[in-house]
Amino acid sequence: MSNDGAITGYDPGEFYCEIFGRSGRRRPSHTRPIRDRLAELAIAQLRARARGAENELFNLGITFTVYTDRKSIDRILPFDVIPRVLSPRDWEIIESGVKQRVAALNLFLYDIYHDEKILKDGVVPKELVLGNANYRPEMCGFDPPKGTYVHICGTDIVRNEKGKFQVLEDNARTPSGVSYVIENRHLMMRAFPDLAEGMNIADIDDYGRQLAAALSAVAPAGIGSPTVVLMSPGAFNSAYFEHVFLAREMGVPLVEGRDLVVENHHVFMRTTHGLAPVHVIYRRINDDFLDPRAFRSDSMLGVAGLFEAYLKGNVTLANAVGTGVADDKAVYAYMPRIIEYYLDQEPILANVPTNICRESAGLQKTLDHLDELVTKPVGEAGGYGVVVGPSASKRTLSELRAKLKADPANFISQPVISLSVCPTLVARAVEPRHVDLRPFAVTGESTWVLPGGLTRVALRRGSLVVNSSQGGGSKDTWVIG
Amino acid sequence: MDNLIARFADNIFWLGRYMERAENVARILDINETYARENEEGPDWQRVLVLYADTDAFLARYAVIDAASVVAFYINDRDNPSSIVSVIFQARENARSVRHLISTEMWTHLNISHNRMLELTPRALQLGNLSRLCSEIKESCQTFEGIAEGTFLRGERWCFYQMGKYIERADQTTRILDMGFARAGEDLGAAMEAVHWNVLLRSVAGYHAYRSRHPAGSRPRDIAIFLLYDREFPRAVGLCVERLSTRLIELETLHGHRRHDSVEAARRALVFALDTGPGGEITRQRLHKFLDELQILLGGVSSAIATTYFSGR
Repeated sequence: MSNDGAITGYDPGEFYCEIFGRSGRRRPSHTRPIRDRLAELAIAQLRARARGAENELFNLGITFTVYTDRKSIDRILPFDVIPRVLSPRDWEIIESGVKQRVAALNLFLYDIYHDEKILKDGVVPKELVLGNANYRPEMCGFDPPKGTYVHICGTDIVRNEKGKFQVLEDNARTPSGVSYVIENRHLMMRAFPDLAEGMNIADIDDYGRQLAAALSAVAPAGIGSPTVVLMSPGAFNSAYFEHVFLAREMGVPLVEGRDLVVENHHVFMRTTHGLAPVHVIYRRINDDFLDPRAFRSDSMLGVAGLFEAYLKGNVTLANAVGTGVADDKAVYAYMPRIIEYYLDQEPILANVPTNICRESAGLQKTLDHLDELVTKPVGEAGGYGVVVGPSASKRTLSELRAKLKADPANFISQPVISLSVCPTLVARAVEPRHVDLRPFAVTGESTWVLPGGLTRVALRRGSLVVNSSQGGGSKDTWVIG
Repeated sequence: MDNLIARFADNIFWLGRYMERAENVARILDINETYARENEEGPDWQRVLVLYADTDAFLARYAVIDAASVVAFYINDRDNPSSIVSVIFQARENARSVRHLISTEMWTHLNISHNRMLELTPRALQLGNLSRLCSEIKESCQTFEGIAEGTFLRGERWCFYQMGKYIERADQTTRILDMGFARAGEDLGAAMEAVHWNVLLRSVAGYHAYRSRHPAGSRPRDIAIFLLYDREFPRAVGLCVERLSTRLIELETLHGHRRHDSVEAARRALVFALDTGPGGEITRQRLHKFLDELQILLGGVSSAIATTYFSGR
């Protein structure tokens, strides 16, 4: 092996590395071919090929778009050429764990919109569900086809320093990112076909077909060959590329609210031939904006009368209305208990250990270790109000202590998690960067999980923030068969 | 049946129009630059503004009508909706909406063209480089057309794309013809320099085609008839209208549409006017009036198509 190979001097420290494994242990055999090939590549070669891939992304228009008044500025979602590789055993755990979680989420949603058994049994606090902003009382008593509420689920998973997978959150509303999974693979196979040679990587091209089949399976009863459409907020939405991508992969019409109309509680789309019936809508638009008559009256993106047509069973919405209550931070803390309650199984994928402050033990533990824990208010979204103990000032901590005592039910706390790392090409070297993983599960009658998922990478050294809006990029994710 | 969403049919129609438009604006700038070089009295860039009825819009933003300003106005002025950069931007926005209905190769090429327009330096716009730039833009549009021909599904969407293209091409040919004649004197019989007519013909890639019809001489009347009625020349107005009619018929025969009276009436009015001709011997005035009428009738067909197919009812 030459000394100036791309991974010379690479050191993941105490973190679990997706390619080199656990610190101080034997390197995993399933990543050996890729380690060998990276060792043979000079950094300049790696750079040159990465540049080629970046150009291709730009030309393909695979971009996040930020619109100003009249110009559109395209930014490439940074793509890192070194893949993240999962062993067959890794994948077995993730796949079965995700399936288990999706099953529990669907049973939970059915229950809270019907008999509320889990609330009556006191497993999940009643007010946590019924008082939740995403709980939709309009859904009570409604039976979605096949009992499926969460047709598309994205589960955010991290890996601790021992290499153990932990679920960070469930995305049961309109998770995005799957288009990058597939485009990243295409890009990788064009830029680095040799890197993948002989590695027996699980195929991911089947997503569109699986999704279309699942959506057809949940069409209203009695519809022979249902018309499925993908409903997007429109070309100005930052995920529009993905909407286009999915409509293409499924071979279904891409529509906006203005292309749909409800007549006599049935949904139609406006085609060049006039109105044509629609049976299943994969909607990439939030509950609030679906129907100005049922929800936000100022919604310009929705379709008047859509929700009533849905409740009458004339059209299926995927995901169902009201799934937001299940991927809430507060409910997340109860997921291990929810899984045990409905499935009578141990969770295959653990949560990040979570202290529920509405419970006295959880509150005590949180107050005792405030400076070591990450404390999160449960009602807020997007990271607001999160206090990271080790880096918080004394004043912040004492304010937090007061808030916790005043309203413990509004908080949960978790240890600072250590995300695993993966070798990543930065300016002139390959360095460890933190990654997470979002596998995508598709559920019609049964659940199918796309092998791998979206690996997001925090490109800034030491950063744990993988969001694309904050300097995150993505990697191809290989599941070895 | 395609189940083509009406709004997307509209986007595809305009994608066809915009790409054709960008190509023709490049042709017109190129021809004008060549005229300007041949003309000893100095370049006359106002003609381009007149041709597109843009004089007011131009003067609202530029102090004097000179080569540099007009070229900038038509190539990379993002505030001018008819500049090439704006037209390509519009084409790309339409393509973005119908990204799922067009081929990846069409989209990629359009992205590259758009990025290239955004990268233009002031140097590329200098008069000495203008012809090269116009050629490049023209070829980029032609490449797109070739990619569409080779990769775009031949459903309803293809019909709408082609109809947009042919309406725009017919319209642009009438404008180029109008400009050519506007440059000639009132008395078309007088010996206009052959080079003038050659430039006109070359700007629409029609020089050799015309020569094969008329080996000697360049009579203005023959040139007008050639650009309006030639049965084989792909940019001739008549041929564009004929192709347009074919696509409209295909909507019925191949794609399950019924005949719509409003579209048919507009199409017939156009065909009738074209068949009737300018009425009498071709003079500059008479031709100008006739070309104006054709532009209005082409607009009529375009709006009838929009009302009929793009409203979703």
